Amino acid sequence: MKNFLTVSVTTFLFSSILWVLWAFFLLQGDDNSPWLGPLLYYPHAARVLCIVYFGYRAIPALFLAEIWGPLLLFPEAFNFYPYIPSLISVMSVPAAILTLEFFGFTLGSTQDSPLNKTNYKHVALITVISAFYNALFKNLSLSLFEVNYQEHLVDILQVCSFLIGDIAGTAVVFILLAIVLRPILRSTNQDSRIH
Amino acid sequence: MKKFFNDIADALNMLAGIESALNIKDFSPNELKVFYTIISNEANSGCQCNITDVVESSGMSRSTVYKTLRKLSGEGIIALDQSPDDKREYLISFS
Repeated sequence: MKNFLTVSVTTFLFSSILWVLWAFFLLQGDDNSPWLGPLLYYPHAARVLCIVYFGYRAIPALFLAEIWGPLLLFPEAFNFYPYIPSLISVMSVPAAILTLEFFGFTLGSTQDSPLNKTNYKHVALITVISAFYNALFKNLSLSLFEVNYQEHLVDILQVCSFLIGDIAGTAVVFILLAIVLRPILRSTNQDSRIH
Repeated sequence: MKKFFNDIADALNMLAGIESALNIKDFSPNELKVFYTIISNEANSGCQCNITDVVESSGMSRSTVYKTLRKLSGEGIIALDQSPDDKREYLISFS
């Protein structure tokens, strides 16, 4: 568990920032664009990035980041205990990685790795599979506990909106990070060319 | 901490792949100034501008403007067509 504290603090801060941004669009946004919240779920990017790059050490911090917002920041908006749904959401990424490992695609960081974490297309595959697991099992738990999330009963539309929201939100975060971090990314590329 | 920074470097490599796939064009300050001058000239006059218009509006030297326009034309951002009225002049249009 080397660097557990560093990984946990980084993961918690990153995930919390994305959750607050998403909650802002969902709860504080104007009524003309109500789709912005459910159809762009940014924190899924934190789940994918932190678990893919930091490993399973990031799970406790991700879980804490998922539950502190609904419990402390907007308790009136999320009128249910988020423990089990949040745990399912966080565990969707390890489940996706384990599924791919089951089929022989082991996660690594070299060109020879069947699942290369430096290749964005492979990370996109993990994102899609984990979004699918999250949409399916989180809604299953919501329906089992009879939670009317956002004052709606669980239906196929909600499952689809979770799936699209996770994928689209992750894509937006990845693209924004790639644009914002361009100067660093350029210098990283030049360094790797020199060495 | 080495492992932590290696993990961050892997994440940055993945983001570099996205940045490369997005193929976002970087303008140099000269290219940006010439590009902006062409747009503002066309918006104000409502017709195609030529190299002389860009030189006068931007305050840059003719050779700098010419080199920059050649570069933008080579990258397919603008097209340079010979003016029917004056064979020495080129009209600028967006590709």
